Amino acid sequence: MDTEFITMKPAPTADLTSQALDRFREVNGLFPETSHILEHKRQGKKVLGWLCTYVPEEIMHAAGVLPIRITGYSHEIKPDEGNAYLYVNNCSFSRSCLQLGLRGGYDFLDGIAGGSTCDCARRLMDLWHHYIATSFYHMITVPQKYSSKAHELYYEQITQFTQHLSEFTGIEITDASLSHSIQIYNESRELLRKLYDLRKANNPPITGSEIIEISNAGFRMPKETFNEYLKNLLTNIDTSRHAYSNSRARLMLTGSILGNHEFVESIEQLGGLVVTDDLCTSTRHWYDMIEVNQDESPLRAISRRYLNNFPCARMIPHDERLKRIRDLAQGFRVDGAISQIVHNCTPYTHELSFVTKMLEAQGIPVLSLDVEYGTASSGQIQTRVQAFLEMLEGKRR
Amino acid sequence: MINLQNTSETINHLLRTFRLLQKVGRKHPEVRKHEILFYQLLEKYFTRILNAREEGNFIATHTTFMPGEILYAMDIVPMQTEWTSWILALFTKRGTDFISEGRRLGLTNEVCSAQRGIAGAFSLGTLPRPDAVIWSNLICNNIAKNGELIMEINRCPGFFLDHPLGDSAAERNYLRGEIEDMIHFLEEQTGRKMDWDHLSDSVAGTMKQIEISRQICELRKAVPSPFHPQEFMEMLTVTYLFQGQPEATEYLEMLYEDLSLSVSEGRGAVSPERFRVMSIFLSPIYRAPFLEKFSQEHGMVSVAEPIFTQWEEGKLDPTRPLDSLVQKLYMLPERSLYSPVGERTLKKIVDCAKEYKADGAIAYADVACQHTCALIKLFKDVLNDIDVPLLILDCDLVDQTVTSEEDMREKLEQFLELLEDR
Repeated sequence: MDTEFITMKPAPTADLTSQALDRFREVNGLFPETSHILEHKRQGKKVLGWLCTYVPEEIMHAAGVLPIRITGYSHEIKPDEGNAYLYVNNCSFSRSCLQLGLRGGYDFLDGIAGGSTCDCARRLMDLWHHYIATSFYHMITVPQKYSSKAHELYYEQITQFTQHLSEFTGIEITDASLSHSIQIYNESRELLRKLYDLRKANNPPITGSEIIEISNAGFRMPKETFNEYLKNLLTNIDTSRHAYSNSRARLMLTGSILGNHEFVESIEQLGGLVVTDDLCTSTRHWYDMIEVNQDESPLRAISRRYLNNFPCARMIPHDERLKRIRDLAQGFRVDGAISQIVHNCTPYTHELSFVTKMLEAQGIPVLSLDVEYGTASSGQIQTRVQAFLEMLEGKRR
Repeated sequence: MINLQNTSETINHLLRTFRLLQKVGRKHPEVRKHEILFYQLLEKYFTRILNAREEGNFIATHTTFMPGEILYAMDIVPMQTEWTSWILALFTKRGTDFISEGRRLGLTNEVCSAQRGIAGAFSLGTLPRPDAVIWSNLICNNIAKNGELIMEINRCPGFFLDHPLGDSAAERNYLRGEIEDMIHFLEEQTGRKMDWDHLSDSVAGTMKQIEISRQICELRKAVPSPFHPQEFMEMLTVTYLFQGQPEATEYLEMLYEDLSLSVSEGRGAVSPERFRVMSIFLSPIYRAPFLEKFSQEHGMVSVAEPIFTQWEEGKLDPTRPLDSLVQKLYMLPERSLYSPVGERTLKKIVDCAKEYKADGAIAYADVACQHTCALIKLFKDVLNDIDVPLLILDCDLVDQTVTSEEDMREKLEQFLELLEDR
């Protein structure tokens, strides 16, 4: 077991909001050896890793599996094996994940499922399959467009995934079990929306950093328990709490995958309050509900939702993604946006100029940061964020 | 540097160069027929682009692995993004300008220089403005994500052809539907209908070209091997630019005849042949003359490029052109980089090394090419199992500032020393 992975321990806190938040922190602090995963394994049930938000969790859940999101180390690492196996020009997220896998961090997994979302994810899956043996491996073709034919293909793909998973677990995945899973995951989405909407307030009671901690925990525990934790937080959150009293600007975070909440914390400590984002580890993961139409199978509804969900930069055309980013920026009244793109994340790099142009046309300046996955911050990042906040303040005057 | 202000000046300069190279070739009996034909075909390709506007023709710019047979069958002038812009860059020495312009457009160094350069070439007006862009995700994110920018630069419509990852019946059917939709798009844009007979002829032409390519691969197994490094790039260029067309068939037949003659006479590309190497990925296009010279000096010959010249098994049926184009896209040698890379691809690498009696292999690690570089460790491991050493040569396909000729020479010489000591 790689001890480097265990990072953050919950700090002792007193108020009810903080106590509610600590429950999520505890999960992150112990991951991957969380009591939830250990208990699930002890009961002889399977745990699967999933990579990318185009892999429907509901299907795994309906098969009695505990789906765990594959992430890398929660901090920036020296990617020795990552570089050796995936080469330095692959994104540091994929290298971090692979290194963690190679060092035994995911030995508890019974299998892995991924989607053909980007080059780095595809290669990560290729190498994982070759060098880290798991008894279940499934790759889903994820169309890169939204046409009716694309939807048909994606539906066929997740039907195959469902069948494969049924064979592997020996558990029949029925419409009833899928409907039950949809209900649980939709509840989670509703709760998250309530929580995220609190950030629309002038002085939100929760920080962007805390939101990332909550999101991360949600990837590492049973959804039912996560929902209980969320309900507890929403009940106990003190809405008069000012997450940061020294807020200098309301910010949106845009860009590629982000795992370390400390990165957001470092921005917020400078006075930039992160009120919304379009990250696949946050808003983009939960955003759309699954709506089952009359006379429609639950699998069909899952399929439609996952392909139509708040798009990743891989999707073509990019109009829908740009529209949703604009809507979020307006809805959360942001003063500026910080684009954080993991080094060598090609789809987001290509999209940056389009996002920047669109947001600037709305009067929202964009600071672009090239980061390594897991980074907490750096002197250079702090200087640039500081200058950006000063610019935003100057703009307001 | 040549000061070339606009598209027609640039292309005219290029055409003059191609004519000159043909003229020089004809004066030298040692220059083989297919080499002269190569420049003749480039002249033809670029002349068509140059005259398209005047002749009222529709130009569709397209990425490498689009089925060009469709464009020819609809009498659309094809302008292949990668090869067109980089031939321009090579012969006008404007590669750095193109790349810098791509950077100005917001494409950072993480985007491969080839794609940055393409966007830059369009933005600078070096390439003619196309009437439509058709592009796909075959073979990487960079190709897929550049299409919308090229559309924006040229203010023209576009069609994105989505390749599925796997090869199930449903995925093949999806790809067929994508091709049909692309044809409808082109019909709408041009006001022309698909000429299905012409398309069938082109498919037959493609099948013929695949068969000759396979025969050429067989010839390259000979000891000594007859195939020059520059012929690899020339062969790719012709088959990419003239998919299914008689021009490509003529070129390949001529190349085959020239190689057959060399084999029958026991004449190798280098003499004496000392090192047989297998090339993995693409060598930098601007270093082709250097690699030719180096190969001659050191007796090194590239006997195979498994990912670029080895077609997968299968046949095309001209009476079913759409199904055949789907089949072709699955048979493409380069598709092995797109599909999940597993036992099948690894076996191909190993079999190739054995069948072509490779002493070693060279992986040209393009510093901005993620999906190829991520395979190097896998390939190295399987080649190591059969005792074939692999040299990893960091480079860039088109950006000359990444690796110097001296650096390449030094690493190649060290590698050959290692092979010699074994």
